[in-house]
Amino acid sequence: MSKSTAAANGHSLWQKMPKANAELFALTYGTLVTELVRDYESTEDINEQLEKMGYSIGVRCVDEFLAKADQAGMVIPPCRAFAETAEVLAKTGFRMFLGVSAEVQMISDSSFSLLIYENPLSLFVELPSDPKWKDIKYSNLYCGILRGSLEQVNLRVECTMVKDVLQGDDVNEIRVDLKEVLVDGAGEEYDEE
Amino acid sequence: MSRAPSNILDRPLGGRGRNSSTETAVSQSAFAYLYSELVQYHQSRVASISELERRLESSGYGIGLKVLELLSYRSRESKRETRLMNILQFVSANVWKSLFGKPADSLERSIDHADEFMIVDYEPLTSTYVSVPSDLGQLSVDSFLSGIVAGVLDGAGFSARVTAHSVTLEEGEAGYGSSNSSLPPRKDKAVFLVKFSPEVLKRDTGLER
Repeated sequence: MSKSTAAANGHSLWQKMPKANAELFALTYGTLVTELVRDYESTEDINEQLEKMGYSIGVRCVDEFLAKADQAGMVIPPCRAFAETAEVLAKTGFRMFLGVSAEVQMISDSSFSLLIYENPLSLFVELPSDPKWKDIKYSNLYCGILRGSLEQVNLRVECTMVKDVLQGDDVNEIRVDLKEVLVDGAGEEYDEE
Repeated sequence: MSRAPSNILDRPLGGRGRNSSTETAVSQSAFAYLYSELVQYHQSRVASISELERRLESSGYGIGLKVLELLSYRSRESKRETRLMNILQFVSANVWKSLFGKPADSLERSIDHADEFMIVDYEPLTSTYVSVPSDLGQLSVDSFLSGIVAGVLDGAGFSARVTAHSVTLEEGEAGYGSSNSSLPPRKDKAVFLVKFSPEVLKRDTGLER
């Protein structure tokens, strides 16, 4: 899938999606993070919880993505290389759900970085300057979403937030590393039956 | 190495952009997924339906306070609302329009109680994508929205208790068609019951004269 097709698909899927207010979205996410901060002690736990929630979202949203694309008459062919996956994620997937596309920076054949310039989750947000919050990954939800959705298409990945605008960097960067291409199957126990 | 972050107070509050839909909107699905995670998170920590509703309400409360400030700032009205009917109009028209793209479907006054009002929404965003299992019976996930309303009213100085109820639609109601026709039609509408505290009523009748 060429880069421009991915972007064009993203744009037209975005047009078709019913919209919700981005500020309500950002404020709701803020509320969620605040509740986590209240309930958990360490920033690792908070990050982990966010990732888990993202995972659960990711598992579900990939179905919607493929279904809506199919309904719109688009063909999203199976990706022949991890780079194609990255493009589809950044240009079509992100665009369709969030209205913003991300940029892809390939690092190697099995890892890439997604650069997000405008982050809908962190609208209105500022992190306190207390050193305790240096390690919090506010947008860790994305890492979970990427992991969940890619797992549904048989790619086991590990995602981490490398750079965060809220921590002072100029862009949000998520590093995605492919660990394993999974094989469909119910496992060896079922072979006997 | 990070540079010193620009002061958040210096950034424009106009949202990420002013006109294009890509910058002030996300897809409803994104909100729905996020909201479902919020509900699931609370659900795992409570023991009863009313506690879940209470937690959702308190989640919404903080948002209500912020929404009030945002909207007041953006509308550039120099006077704040002091009358009951006006603040209710503000909530059902402006707040709803800004959050959901259209004003609330109706604002009614209760016949039996002078301090109760109802804001009706035929298709609230929070429950459009949620199905409540039968063992959770009377749960209304729109409690989040009632928390937002309570936050707005409290912030404006009208303390009130807001609760969300699902009321079955009567025949012929809401026939205008939903904005999202790919979903099965809803059987109920959300009614937000706003019950003001006695001092608010007293103050308002005092202002009448």
